[in-house]
Amino acid sequence: MVFWTTLLIMHGLLAIALLGAVTHQAVALWLPVRAAAGGFVGRFRAVPSHAYVTAIIVLYVLTFVMGAWIYTHYRYTARLALEQLRFFKVVGAFEVKEHLAVIGLILLPAYWYFWRPPLSPDYAAARRQVTLLLALLIWANFLIGHIVNNGRGFGS
Amino acid sequence: MTATNKVGIFAVVFGAAYAVIYVISTEVNLPLLTYHPATGDIGLLYQPPGRGPAMYWYGWMLTSLIGASALALIATVVPEPWLQRTLIFGAAGAVLYLAVYTLALAVYEHASVELQFLENRWWSVAVAAAAAAAVSLLVPARWAQRLWPGWAWVVPLGAIAVLTYYLTPYFTR
Repeated sequence: MVFWTTLLIMHGLLAIALLGAVTHQAVALWLPVRAAAGGFVGRFRAVPSHAYVTAIIVLYVLTFVMGAWIYTHYRYTARLALEQLRFFKVVGAFEVKEHLAVIGLILLPAYWYFWRPPLSPDYAAARRQVTLLLALLIWANFLIGHIVNNGRGFGS
Repeated sequence: MTATNKVGIFAVVFGAAYAVIYVISTEVNLPLLTYHPATGDIGLLYQPPGRGPAMYWYGWMLTSLIGASALALIATVVPEPWLQRTLIFGAAGAVLYLAVYTLALAVYEHASVELQFLENRWWSVAVAAAAAAAVSLLVPARWAQRLWPGWAWVVPLGAIAVLTYYLTPYFTR
């Protein structure tokens, strides 16, 4: 149990780092600052968005692999209990999460390509859209993961 | 996207093809392998649950990986206008099929005469395929010269819509 809990916490920490990186990038890309950044929000928007690409790819793959590993344990422990308790919405939310995680993973090759330096103006629109979709998927999966974990509660 | 840009074509087509094959794999259940988490056993292709549940997710991903890699490799040697028209055909076909089949079921439901053939989805597939072929052939040449990079997110977004729709029973019971 300690082993799986440790993995779950590491998965969560990686997800938080990924969430921060992709949110920074998406906000800087969609709402760039036009003048010198002042307050917290301005500085949040003023980061060089291309600097996050490698970190986002590496963090996504690591988070995904760790999640896919924990999934094996979830499937024959937590999920069986959730089904017996008839928590079908929680089980369904996890099913959505597994699909969203795969879709995010398969966006990465195009995401990497569109962000290759020097940034091509031909891919400016695609770069913005793929980054936004990736950010939305990561946010959705983070929130679903949190809700699913609350379904039974830590250590129950 | 220029015709010499093989890496870009591979990346875009891989994502689009993977999304489509993944949806088909999950709905038809076509895993390349089955994992039994309670025992740690791995079996080839689909296997029913044994002692404990069976997991097909890894198998669906592998099926999709092989299929999408093959299609993306083929895409790198296909002339770009053909590729673009093929993707237009596929996307238009999927949207038209949904529209035609929904309409067919609505007509069947409300018709005062027996039109049971409308329940058969192959009629809708045929109509959608014919209309999609017309769309892909009639699309202006300037739209079909280059592979549209937006396929990289449009097709996966469509896949999300279909996958989520199929999971609605979890949220309605």
